[in-house]
Amino acid sequence: MKPTYAFAAFALAIATPMPALAATINAIMYKNPQCSCCEAYAAYLEQNGFKVDIKSVHNLSQISSDAGVPADLEGCHTLMVDGYVVDGLVPVDIVKKLLTERPAITGITLAGMPTGAPGMGGEKAETWTIYAFTKDGKAPTVYATE
Amino acid sequence: MNSDFHHLISRRGFLVAAAGVAASASMRPVRASAMAERRIGVAPSQARFTGPDGPHTPVWTYDRTVPGPALRLLQREPIRIVVDNRLDEDTTVHWHGIRLPNAMDGVPGLTQPPIKPGESFVYEFTPPDAGTFWYHPHADSLVQLGRGLAGALIVEETEPVAVDRDLLWLLQDWRLAKDGQIAAGFGNMMDAAMSGRVGNVVTINGTVPVDQSVKAGARVRLRLANASLARIMALRFEGHRPVVVAIDGQPCDPHEPEDGRLVLAPAMRIDIMLDMQGDPGKRYAVIDDFYDGLAYTLTTLAYDEAPPLRAHPLDAPVGLPRNPLPEPDLVRAERQEIVLQGGMMGGGKLAGVGGMMGMAAHGMNGGAAWAINDMSMTGDGHAGMAPQFTLKRGTTCHLTMRNETAWWHPMHIHGFSMSVLSRNGSPVPHRQWQDTVLMAPKDTIECAFVADNPGDWMLHCHVADHQMAGLMTVFRVT
Repeated sequence: MKPTYAFAAFALAIATPMPALAATINAIMYKNPQCSCCEAYAAYLEQNGFKVDIKSVHNLSQISSDAGVPADLEGCHTLMVDGYVVDGLVPVDIVKKLLTERPAITGITLAGMPTGAPGMGGEKAETWTIYAFTKDGKAPTVYATE
Repeated sequence: MNSDFHHLISRRGFLVAAAGVAASASMRPVRASAMAERRIGVAPSQARFTGPDGPHTPVWTYDRTVPGPALRLLQREPIRIVVDNRLDEDTTVHWHGIRLPNAMDGVPGLTQPPIKPGESFVYEFTPPDAGTFWYHPHADSLVQLGRGLAGALIVEETEPVAVDRDLLWLLQDWRLAKDGQIAAGFGNMMDAAMSGRVGNVVTINGTVPVDQSVKAGARVRLRLANASLARIMALRFEGHRPVVVAIDGQPCDPHEPEDGRLVLAPAMRIDIMLDMQGDPGKRYAVIDDFYDGLAYTLTTLAYDEAPPLRAHPLDAPVGLPRNPLPEPDLVRAERQEIVLQGGMMGGGKLAGVGGMMGMAAHGMNGGAAWAINDMSMTGDGHAGMAPQFTLKRGTTCHLTMRNETAWWHPMHIHGFSMSVLSRNGSPVPHRQWQDTVLMAPKDTIECAFVADNPGDWMLHCHVADHQMAGLMTVFRVT
């Protein structure tokens, strides 16, 4: 993975499929059984080199809380991938940045369901802030903006 | 089995005795001439959902049991119920589905002052309708219901119904943590803006169900009541053909449900007649398959080995006598419409809520995630809630409810039962009357009722998280 490639990926429209980087990245998604945008997000990840095992659960808030996601920064689903938690509709380039950089954090989250995010319809209307969180009680920090 | 009223007659006082045995008029007690009285204490206690050897779970209870005692009242007989609050917070009791005076409806601030800790409130009413109803708090609803405060309220028909057994399944859904305690996190924003706090343990009459022992050939009236915070159920009785005879306490034309599935949303009741046509010694699963990919066996009907009670199903008709509901005058009806808005994937109808724009910035806990006609009334009810519309007493209200959200909502009207006219333009058959109407995403429902009872009345979603987060309104009958 070259820096130039990462830059190119960043610049691409988020829905554009990327060629598989290397091996498929396995992920488990916990989602509400009645939320359809999560499935669209899973399909988006699969177009981008992931294999997503979707698990419908009723206690998503318990799972995301146990995973360390701050209560006020929850996304609409919780993804477990390669030792990290990715909560919400985080663009794939930022997920890959996380898996490449491997910082000492528990995971990242894009809170809520912003319009235009992968899996959601509509036009992107604002800057998204993706936060990094840990389980050691420290305040979340900004991991990326988009 | 505490759901089987045959076994309770000698043990409880007048009200339970008054339950009688449905098929046996000789066992019905003589009616008391003075007003019957009952006292209920609201207090913390402990429950053991998995039986006498299971872990203790701290719960909140009516009379120290979960669910609360099944109150059996008599149609058209006045009742006085004294409620003593021994919680550390305010409470009220809402007699769900009973058409009663507004001041007895149990909405804090709106119809009565809340019952403060250590205080009592006297509820008095005369149930006009026979059927299956229930009672629960209307204060701190999400937490109080979620900690166990609910009980069945059964109003007996004046003439007994011909069945072999009269059973109640009061269904509750609990979100328990690994240690068996009720999980924290009431009011979580994802629960509030999605499907509510659905749990992980379902109980029937307060215990995780084991087999239900049944006899071949018997006719059972089974009263299903969903007292869950948020879990919608779709029950299938393997090998059986249940006939729906009442919905929300109100008799309908007897019918088999579509696809054999009984869809029971929070706060709904369905009475079914179940002819036990299975084979002696066999077992039949009762399956809840409402949520895709999350079907489970709720319980199992276990036939004993005895030969069938009778060779053919009972001849007696299964239909129940109708209740004295005023017939809507649709020609002269006043039309009203409410639109349900908001929630996750809500499409931006509600600034800051629909589509969840900027949700993180506001923080959602305790805030509004939903609205009715662009207004979010949050919480449990309070003084000074402005009515969405006002009806002159005696008017027929033709009410259209449109669900613009991506989620399911059981909409509950206080004080009235509504004749359900149509769903998405198709007439609703079986002459159904309901106080809690389940709306699928994007559904439009038309219903009608005669506004014959003055007061300010609630109309809200009975997914408790949704109600608390704004899916509530008030209308006035003058």
